[in-house]
Amino acid sequence: MNKMKRKGVLRKIALCAVSLTMLASATACGKPQDTGGKIAVICKNEKVSFWDEVKKGAVDCCDEMGYELLYYCAEGDNDFASQIEDINDAINKNAKAIVIAPNDTTELNETLEKANDKGIKIVYINSKANYDGNVSFVGSQDFDGGAVAARNAARVMFSTANESGAYVGKVAIIGHTASTADLRITGFKATFSASLGQYIAKMKAQAAAANEASGSGVPAESAPAQGAAAAQGGAAQGAAQGGASAGTGDSGSGAKAMTAEEQQAMIASFFIDGQRCATKEAAYEEAKKILENNSDIKVFYATNTNTTLGVCQAVEESDLSDTITVVGFNSDEEELKYIRTGILDGTIIQNPYNMGYIGVRYAIQSSNGESVTGNLDTGVTWISAKNINDDDIQLLLYPEKA
Amino acid sequence: MARSNNRSTTAYTFAAILLAIVTAANMFLVFYLFNSISTIGRNTSTTMNTINSVNGELQSINQRVLQVVAGIGNEQAQKGVIASIDTSFDSIEEKLNTFENYEGLSDATMKRFRHARVFIEAYRKRLNTVFDQMGSQEGLGDGVTLADVYTQDINPLKTTASEMLVASISINASDTARRQAKSAKIFIATEMIMLTILILGELAIFLISRRAKRVNAELEERERNLQEVGAKLKSTRQKASDLALTNLLTGMKNRYALDNDISGRLESDRFNIAVFDMDNFRMINDTYGYEFGDEYLAAIADRLKEEFGDVAEVYNITGNEFCFVFNKEYSESQSMAFVQKIHSVLTSPFTVLNLTVQLTASGAAYHYLPGDCLNVNSLLVKLDTTMRSAKMNGGNMVNTVVNM
Repeated sequence: MNKMKRKGVLRKIALCAVSLTMLASATACGKPQDTGGKIAVICKNEKVSFWDEVKKGAVDCCDEMGYELLYYCAEGDNDFASQIEDINDAINKNAKAIVIAPNDTTELNETLEKANDKGIKIVYINSKANYDGNVSFVGSQDFDGGAVAARNAARVMFSTANESGAYVGKVAIIGHTASTADLRITGFKATFSASLGQYIAKMKAQAAAANEASGSGVPAESAPAQGAAAAQGGAAQGAAQGGASAGTGDSGSGAKAMTAEEQQAMIASFFIDGQRCATKEAAYEEAKKILENNSDIKVFYATNTNTTLGVCQAVEESDLSDTITVVGFNSDEEELKYIRTGILDGTIIQNPYNMGYIGVRYAIQSSNGESVTGNLDTGVTWISAKNINDDDIQLLLYPEKA
Repeated sequence: MARSNNRSTTAYTFAAILLAIVTAANMFLVFYLFNSISTIGRNTSTTMNTINSVNGELQSINQRVLQVVAGIGNEQAQKGVIASIDTSFDSIEEKLNTFENYEGLSDATMKRFRHARVFIEAYRKRLNTVFDQMGSQEGLGDGVTLADVYTQDINPLKTTASEMLVASISINASDTARRQAKSAKIFIATEMIMLTILILGELAIFLISRRAKRVNAELEERERNLQEVGAKLKSTRQKASDLALTNLLTGMKNRYALDNDISGRLESDRFNIAVFDMDNFRMINDTYGYEFGDEYLAAIADRLKEEFGDVAEVYNITGNEFCFVFNKEYSESQSMAFVQKIHSVLTSPFTVLNLTVQLTASGAAYHYLPGDCLNVNSLLVKLDTTMRSAKMNGGNMVNTVVNM
C-alpha cells in the first residue's frame, strides 16, 4: 500500500513538472507570430498583369517587414465601387494603412477621408485621387513614360532613317481608354516633337552645307524633308527654301524663318492620333486601318498592354516590322515575346514591383510615425531587345528571381 | 532498514547530480544566449554602418550628378567630377562586397540587398552611358536635354536603389529586434524551466526525506515490536524445552535430560552414578491413592534436592526411580558414602498430608569407566538389573554394579 502511495506522489510530481514546463513555454512563446499589423493594398484592375507585379512587391514588403497584407483588386479601371467597399473592409479589419491606386479622382474621397480620420495612413500608388490626406504618392509619371518612349523611339527611328536614307515619316499613336493615356501621349508628343524639330533642323543644316558645297544644286531634291509626307511637303519645302534663301546663314535662321505656330502645326501634322481602344482586338483593327490609310508610318506608339499587343499583331501581319518602329507600354509576357521576335522595338515599364514594394514600405513607415517622402518617382524603364537580359531589367521583369 | 537507507541515499545522490546538471546547463545557456544576443547586436550595427555609408555615398554622388546636370564649372572641372563619381562607385562596390560577406543576415535582408545592389549597378551603368553620350559627337540625342534624362532616367534609379538599401537596413533591424526578442524569450523560458526543475527538485528532496524519515520511524517501531515478540518466543521455547526435560511432578530433570547430559560423556569420562527406587511404592498408591503417592514423591524429591543438589545432578527417571550423577570432584568412595546417605534419607519417615509414612528403598551404584556402555539405555539397564537383584534379595539394600 505504501508503495502505491509513493507511486501516486511521484506521479503528482511528474504531472506538476510537465504542466509547469508547459506553462513556462506557453508564456514564453506567447502569440504564435506577432505581426506588425495589417496593411491594405487596393489595386486597379485584376485583368492587367501590371497589378500582379504590384502585388508581388506588396507581398514581399509585408513578408520582409513582418506585416499582414490585405490585398484587394478592382475588376476594372473604372470600378471604383468595389474600391470603396475594399476601403471600408480595410477599416473594419483595423488596417494600419491603405495603399491604393484609386480608380476615380473624386468618388473615393469620402471613404478615404473616413479612413484617414480613423488614423489610417493613406498612400497613393500609380495615380492619385483628389483627396489630399495621403502621406505619400508613389508612382511613375505618365508624362515621363511618354517622354522616355519618345526619346527611344526617335533614336531608333532616326538611326534606321540614316541607314535606309528614308527620313522621317508619320507617327501613329493608339491610346487606351483610361485617363493615364492622356499624359502618356502628351509626354510622347512633346518629347518627340522636340527631337523631331532638332532633327529636321540638323538635316536642313546639312542640306544647306551640301548645297553650298555643290554650288547651286536643286534645293528641293536634297531637302531632308523631301521624304516627308505630302501634307508636310509644303511646310518642309518652305523651311528648306528658307534655309536655302538664307544662303550662308546659320542653320538656326531656317527655323527662325518659320513662326512658332507654323512649326508647331508642321510638327503636329506628323502625328496620326488613332482611336482610343480598350481591347487588343480594337487596337488591332485600328492599327490595321491606319496602316491601310497611310503608307508612310514610321512609328507606332501604344500606351498600354492591350493596345501594344494589338499594334504588334497588325504590324506583324503587314510585314512592315523592319521599317516601322513599334513602341509600347508594360511588360506582359506576350509583349516580351514580341520584343524577342523584333516586332516590338521597345516598351516602357513603370516598375510595378518597386511601386508596390515602396508603397507598402511607406505605408508601414508612416503608420509607425516615421516621415516619408511625399512624392516618390519610381521611374520608368525602357526595355528593348538590347537590354532585356541586363540584371536590372531582369529584376524588374522577374522580381522573384533575386 | 538497510535497503530503505540505500534507496534514499540513491535519491539524494540523484537529486544532487540533477541539480548540478541543471545549474551547469543553466550557466551554459545564459552564457550562450548572452553571447548570441550581443553578437546579433554587434553584427547589426556593423552591417547598418556599412549600408548607411553606402547610402550616404549615393546621396553624395547624386549631388555631384546634379552639379554636372546644372552645368557648373568648365569641361575640365566636369570631367573631374565625373571621375570622382566613378571612384565613389568603386568604394560603394567594395562596401557592398563587405556587406555580402557578413554572416547571419536573414534571407529577406539579403534579397532586398540584392535588389538594391542591382539598382545601384544599373544606376552606375546608366550614368556612365549618359556621360559617354555627353562626351561623344552624337550627344544625348536630338532635342534631349540632360535635365530630362536626369529626372526621367537617372534619378528614379538612384531613388529606387536608395529605397531598397534603406529597406534592407530596416528589415535587418527588425530581424535583429525579432531575433533579440526571440532570444530573450528563449532566455526567459529557459530560466523558467530551470526554476521549475529546481523547485521541483527541492520539493522532491523534501518529500523524499520526509517520507524516508517516516518510513524509518515505522521500521524502528516494527523492529522494536519484533524484538519483543522474539524475546517472548524465546522464553516460551525455553519453557517448552524445559518442560520436555523435567518431570512435572517433582520438578526434577527427567530421563531425557539424563540422556542429554551424559550420552556425550560415555566414551571419555569416568563418573559415579547411582539409581534408587522405593520398595513397594505401589502399595502406597493402592492404599492412599495416587494423590497421596504423588505428594509423597514430591516430598522425597524436595528432600533429595535439598540434601544432594550440591553433590550430584539428580534425575527423576521414572515414577519413583531417582538417578544421581555425582559431581566429578567426588571419588568413588566419597560417592559411595553419599549413596549410603541417600539410602538413609529415602528410608527415613516422611510426613505427607499429616500422615507419616516410611518405606524401604533399594539402589544400585556404579563406578562408570569410559567405554563401559554404548549408550545411556544400556547403562540404565545395567543399573536397573543390579537394583532388581537387590530387590529380589529382600530389598532395602544398595548393590554395586560389577563390571564383568
